[in-house]
Amino acid sequence: MKFNTKTIVGIAIGAALFGVLMVYGGIRVTTNTSLTSAMVVTVVVGALFGPIPAALAAGVGNCIADLIGGWGFWFDWSIGNLVLGLFVGLLPVYGAKINEGVFTVKHAVIYSVLCILGNIIGFGLVTPVLTTVFYSSELTITWIQAWSAIVSNATVLIVVGVPVLFALAKRNARGTNLTKE
Amino acid sequence: MDERLFINLIPGNTFLDKLQGKTKVRIFLICIVALIATWDMRVILPFAVLSVVGLVSLKPNWKKMWGVFAFVIAMNLFNLFLLYIITPDYGLNVCGASTVLFKFTDFYVVTAETLWYFLVRFTKLMGSFIVSLTFIQCITPSEMAAGLNSIGVPYKICTIFSLAFRYIPDITKDFNNIKISMQARGMELDPKKTSLWERLKQNVIILVPLIITSFDRVGNIANAMDLRGYGKGKTRTYYSEHEETSNDKKMKYFYTFLLIVTIAVIVLRIVMPGEFEVWTPWI
Repeated sequence: MKFNTKTIVGIAIGAALFGVLMVYGGIRVTTNTSLTSAMVVTVVVGALFGPIPAALAAGVGNCIADLIGGWGFWFDWSIGNLVLGLFVGLLPVYGAKINEGVFTVKHAVIYSVLCILGNIIGFGLVTPVLTTVFYSSELTITWIQAWSAIVSNATVLIVVGVPVLFALAKRNARGTNLTKE
Repeated sequence: MDERLFINLIPGNTFLDKLQGKTKVRIFLICIVALIATWDMRVILPFAVLSVVGLVSLKPNWKKMWGVFAFVIAMNLFNLFLLYIITPDYGLNVCGASTVLFKFTDFYVVTAETLWYFLVRFTKLMGSFIVSLTFIQCITPSEMAAGLNSIGVPYKICTIFSLAFRYIPDITKDFNNIKISMQARGMELDPKKTSLWERLKQNVIILVPLIITSFDRVGNIANAMDLRGYGKGKTRTYYSEHEETSNDKKMKYFYTFLLIVTIAVIVLRIVMPGEFEVWTPWI
């Protein structure tokens, strides 16, 4: 995978915002999970740069949040976020080219379905499996946390994410009605 | 908000500050892996003590630090409280016994094993918190990139880490600027005059410009990096990485020893897993 400089800077800034917002920009639901505005950053990175940058921004961002947040390191959750970021960032792959101002209701539906799917795979499957491998205990609590994470993340991603995507598309759509002569 | 984000851009002058980025990153990673990998108090306690020694040796600004400590201790205690509410007899699962000390009701009992487990868990999480704090206090973003690069992480990924850390103080600055300009336009953020829900909504209003300005800056930063020839070569050397000092050589023995201990702990755990996760002195 070759990244150009712009993508790298985008991932870095996304990761920094993700980390800071994960620590400060959320309403705590249960331990380790919150209704966090950090998810919006994943959506923006995904829209501007694509799936792998979104995944990296979420994964690195979660590591940063762990480093400055003071709740200890939970790499299982970082990887869960990475998987989720991959799904959220798929936007350009199914034709929602936010950079060119393309985002329709059809794309919003696909996006919502992928968000729920990504959450279930990321936190319902990958995180519990990794928790067993890395920490080998606390699976009951991880399940409770996983379900609350799925619900709260999906809520933020859909309720906040869809309007943000429409707004971003509108913002970038200024030049699209020009035709080349 | 800004008191809690201590990112150093200039290295200090204590023992840990003067080490190479390479040494700092390796010691940090070994300590974190050791603290994650085990629930054995005999391993956790030395590492936790080591991290406290590291933090004290940095002579940090304790006045700034107390707020953070209070927050983290309160959060960890709250987590333990939640754990207790869900499974009061948690010690039975992980220590394999339950010695009842006293009962609130038949369900809410206090057992010695649960208390022991909570103590282990608290030490473990506080240990990894103090290790992270020490690490952040003694490292600068480019030293971190240099250190990660030295253990084989591709340098573009290292750049992501260092750039992200470098950008965090800017986020704080932007956040405060946006907040002040919003207040100048008449937005009431005083906690005494607005309800919690109102303030949450206002924080969302601050977030939107914060995200937009941050991503608008991507082009500028990327151009500046391109103009300086970033990403042309296959490898990268770091200006911040000074030559190995005699202290670095001494620390090399130290972290090799820690690495051997950590690997031994992990291998032992895989080869001979105990019947129960947590080692308890009286069982």
